[in-house]
Formats: sequence, structure tokens, C-alpha cells
Amino acid sequence: MLRKKYYTALTLIGISLTIMIIVIFASFIDQIVSANKPEVNRDRTLILDKLSIYKDGKKNNAGPSINFLQKNIGNLESTEAISYFSGTGFISTLNGKTAGHMLTFTDGNFWKITDFEFTEGKPFRSEEVKKGTRVAVINEKTKSYFFNEKEALGKDIAIMGLSYKVIGVVKSATPFSRVYADVYVPYTTDANIQRKNKAIEGSYSALLLAKTTDLRKVRAELRNNLRKYTFSEADSVKAHAFTALEQFSKSTSADDAEPQYGKTAMIVFIILTLFMLIPAISLINLNVTRIGERAEEIGVRKSFGATSGDLVGQLVIENIIITLIGGMIGLGLSVYASQLLVHFINTFDPLFKMETDSFIISWRVFGFCLFSCLLLGLISGVYPAWKMSRMNVIYALKGGNNL
Amino acid sequence: MIKLTDIEKIYRTNTIETTALNKININIDKGEFVAIMGPSGCGKSTLLNIIGLLDAPTGGMINIDNQAVTSLSRKKLAVFRNLKLGFIFQSYHLINDLSVIDNVELPLLYRSGISGAERRKRAMEALGKVGLGARTKHYPNQLSGGQRQRVAIARAIIGNPEILLADEPTGNLDSAMGDEVMNLMLHLNKTDGTTIVMVTHDAHMAKKTQRIIHFFDGQQVS
Repeated sequence: MLRKKYYTALTLIGISLTIMIIVIFASFIDQIVSANKPEVNRDRTLILDKLSIYKDGKKNNAGPSINFLQKNIGNLESTEAISYFSGTGFISTLNGKTAGHMLTFTDGNFWKITDFEFTEGKPFRSEEVKKGTRVAVINEKTKSYFFNEKEALGKDIAIMGLSYKVIGVVKSATPFSRVYADVYVPYTTDANIQRKNKAIEGSYSALLLAKTTDLRKVRAELRNNLRKYTFSEADSVKAHAFTALEQFSKSTSADDAEPQYGKTAMIVFIILTLFMLIPAISLINLNVTRIGERAEEIGVRKSFGATSGDLVGQLVIENIIITLIGGMIGLGLSVYASQLLVHFINTFDPLFKMETDSFIISWRVFGFCLFSCLLLGLISGVYPAWKMSRMNVIYALKGGNNL
Repeated sequence: MIKLTDIEKIYRTNTIETTALNKININIDKGEFVAIMGPSGCGKSTLLNIIGLLDAPTGGMINIDNQAVTSLSRKKLAVFRNLKLGFIFQSYHLINDLSVIDNVELPLLYRSGISGAERRKRAMEALGKVGLGARTKHYPNQLSGGQRQRVAIARAIIGNPEILLADEPTGNLDSAMGDEVMNLMLHLNKTDGTTIVMVTHDAHMAKKTQRIIHFFDGQQVS
């Protein structure tokens, strides 16, 4: 490996770039669908953010209003807790600088369903929500922006012209999550709640924490309940509640039926395979060339008793080792590349900037990276190794090959 | 030890058929040192490759150590080569990426039940026998031609094979180094009783062996 520096460098560059992109892709999906903090209950948390409203034979898809949610899904027996939330943004100006902040209106149950890590203070409780108390929980980025790392608790921040008292500081959720916000306040302080929320349609969503992982039960109860109710503005209403994984992987979202995964899973699989296949083919080519260079060595090894199995094993293991080294370089590169990507995304929206460490490489992503390396090593190693094992010893010893 | 019966090797293309070996019958006894001589292209190396099970004859039977090897599977042939045969090539065929000691250990890598420490110990012994005990960490391209061939001999004998097959082992060496290598093989033949079959152009070297087989145009002439 060290003696063939050009070949090794070329191989490592190819592998590390592939693994880098796979890691960023995997990290993004992992943050969208996996049970990461603060969304530790993602496998049994349904997000209800879309309704199909049927009227006079026509179907209209819309978000639900908070009134609709409270009235129609507030009493689902198959759930452990239900939270309502709505996201928006607000602009602040501090020391002559303008910045955008993501704002979420929510309730006390939000903090029960999620598991935010509070670095200071505590969440707001249901009583404060009921009273419409202007209190806020902010993330560390917002604390740093408004208070410059000093104590934030008890201090006021201005949100849309109103003053809110900071009662808690949390570690940020991933910006790719539905529960991400810079500032969380009670939904009862949402001044636009009536204007934006008509009888059925509105700008709110619900988090439904199921009692068990049998989410079909929750959806069945939801369907039954909605069939029972009558609506003055609609003939019937269907609600779509899915987990983050279902939202990502199901074929269609405008349907209240159980999600179908086949098509999306197939597309993801095909994309991933194609993505691996292109560098794998390049590696196969490189390895076949390399085998030509190693013909004499192969001839010698065969002369002294190496079986085809021994040689296949040797090349595949060598290939896996080089792939793993490339993978580790790719993993390191992915940290810098993801930060670069965030800078690039931020140029499109300079007000609402993402944090540079938004792509988190979890153990799951690391495991997937390792798996990808092994797969890439196997795919690109087995075929050249098989060709090598068929090499004629006499030709090989003469330094050529009869592949 | 080695019995060749009616060995034929014919190379066929779409248009031409070339007979490299024509009905060769040779018996080589255990412990014998035999030289095969003949002009270039007469089939000496082809015969050596066939005895070494690196190439298959088109017809005939090969019997080595009372075992008919013509019908053995590829895998069994590999095991047989590893246990019974050692090769010395004209151009040494050492692996340049491996150190001297790693080159010498190579045949034992394909033999089960031998630990790394045991391999190392036997490689040191083999290198000691060829007088290269002090060059273990060198790489082949740091050695002279004679030294490389001695490493190749150490590699050939590390597995204690009963038969050594040498294809013009002194062909790339000057006369002094050639004599050195030849004396080493004579010593191995005498002290260990190793059967040696050597292909050579060099009549001076061939005379030192116990028997000379002459080849011409794919046929044994004496």
C-alpha cells in the first residue's frame, strides 16, 4: 500500500469522498427520523400536521387549527400525551444587527413528549400556558445572541413587540427536526391565533405520544373519532398522523391510510446503490489494474501453495482495510464538509442562520459509515479477487496475466 | 520419486498446433540431483512446470511420491505443491514489497497450524543455511543477484519439501555467484537428501549433478 503511493492516494481520495457524502446524507436522515435527543420517543410520536377536508365532493388539504385539534383529538385514549405547537419566526435587532429567530408556540405537554436538556431553568407548565403568561424557553444559540453568555434566567426578551421573561435555556434540537426552535412560548400568547385559525383549517400541528409502539391503534381511534363528529364547514375530515420516519419514507402524505413504504424504500435503496456503485466500479477498475501489476506476486504465491480462496481472501481483506482507512478520512472530512454546506445554505437565508455544527454524527451514522465501507470494500474487492484467482501461474510468473 | 509417463504438451491455437513435449518418460529417484539440458524452446521449462504442477500436461501421467497427481483438484494441487515442492526461478521472483524474512516465510503462510513465531524461527534457520541470517530486514532490491537467489533458495527449502525444482537458477548470475548457488544446492541434496531437478543451459553446472537429461524439440534424446 505504502509502496504504491499514487494508487493508494487515488483509492483513498475516491473512497473518502464517497464516504463523506454518504455520512452527510446519513446524518441528515438520522436527524430527521431517529430517536435522538430531544425527540427520544420518535418511534411512538405521531405528528399530525395535515387534514383532508371533504366538501361537496371536493378535497382540500390544509393544516389543522388549534380549536379543531383540541376539540377532536384531545381525548384519544390510545395516547399518553398530546401537545399542540405552531412554528413561526420573528426578527430582532440588537446592537445594530438584525437576526431572525425561529419561534414555536406550544403547551406544557410539549416538554413531556420531548426530552430537552435544560442548561438553565425549567420549562413552562400547563398553568402558565392556561393563564397566558409571557414566559419563554430559549436555546443556547439565542441565549448567546441576546445575553452574550451571561445569565439569561429572569431577563426579558422582546418577541414581536411583546416582552417575555426567560425561564429556561435548552440545548438546541437539530434544525432538521420538527420541534426545533430558537424560542418556545405558550401558545396562549399567540396573538394571531384567531386570525390564522379558522374553524378547521389553521397553522397548528399536534404531537401525539402513543401509549405503545402500535401506532395503528392511534390512527384507527383517530379515524373512528373523526367519523363520529359532524362539521359545519365540511362533509367529512380525515387527519394524517405519522411518525417522523413514516413522514420521510411513506409514498404519499395526503392519505390517512396506513403508510406504504415499498416505493420510497426502493427509491432510497436505488439511490444509495447507484451512489456506491459509481465509486465501486472505479475501485474495481483500479484493483484490476493493480492485479495486473501484481501478477508476478500472485504467480509466486500460487507456486508456493496459495489456493484461489487464500488469494481472494487476501485481496478482499486488503481492500477492506484500505476502504476502512478511506472511510475514516471520509468521516473526518464530513465534519468540515457539513460545516461548509451549512455556510452555503446560510447564504440563501442570512437572517435565519443554521448553526455550523447542525449535522451531528451519531453512533448510528458511524455504524452506517462502517457498514458502507465494508460494503464498498466487498463490492470493489470480490470481482477483481475472483479474476485474480483465475490467473494462469505461468503467465503470472512471466509478469503478465491472462485475465 | 518422480515418474513421468507419456507426458505430452501441445499448444493449440485456431490455426497452429505446437507440440512442446512429445511422449516424455522419465523416472527420477528419491535424493537424485538431475539436470535437464537442451537448447532454448526445446521444452525444458515446460517440463519443469509440469513436474511442479504449475501447468497441466495435454496427455500422460505424473506420479510424485507414489501419488497420481494428474487427477487432483486445483485446491489439492495447491496443498501438494506447498507440502512437497520448492521452486527456484531464474529471475528469483521475490516479492519486492516484502522484506527478506517475509519472503522466506511465504510458503508457511499457506500451511495450517504454524504459528507466526514458528514461521519466523524457521525462516531464520533457512536464511542461516544460505548464509543470509544478517539480511532479514532488507528488501529484495537492496540485495545483489546472488543474495536474492539465496533468499529464493531459503524460501524454497523453508517448508522442507522433498523435491526442489530449479529453473536456470544460475542463469542470471556471474560464475562466482553461480558456483556459490550451485554449491548450496549440492549441499542441500547431500545433507538433506532433497531430490533436485534443475533446468540449465550451463554444461559446467550440469556436470556437477548426478544425471543429465538432454532435450531437443520436445523430445528426450538421452
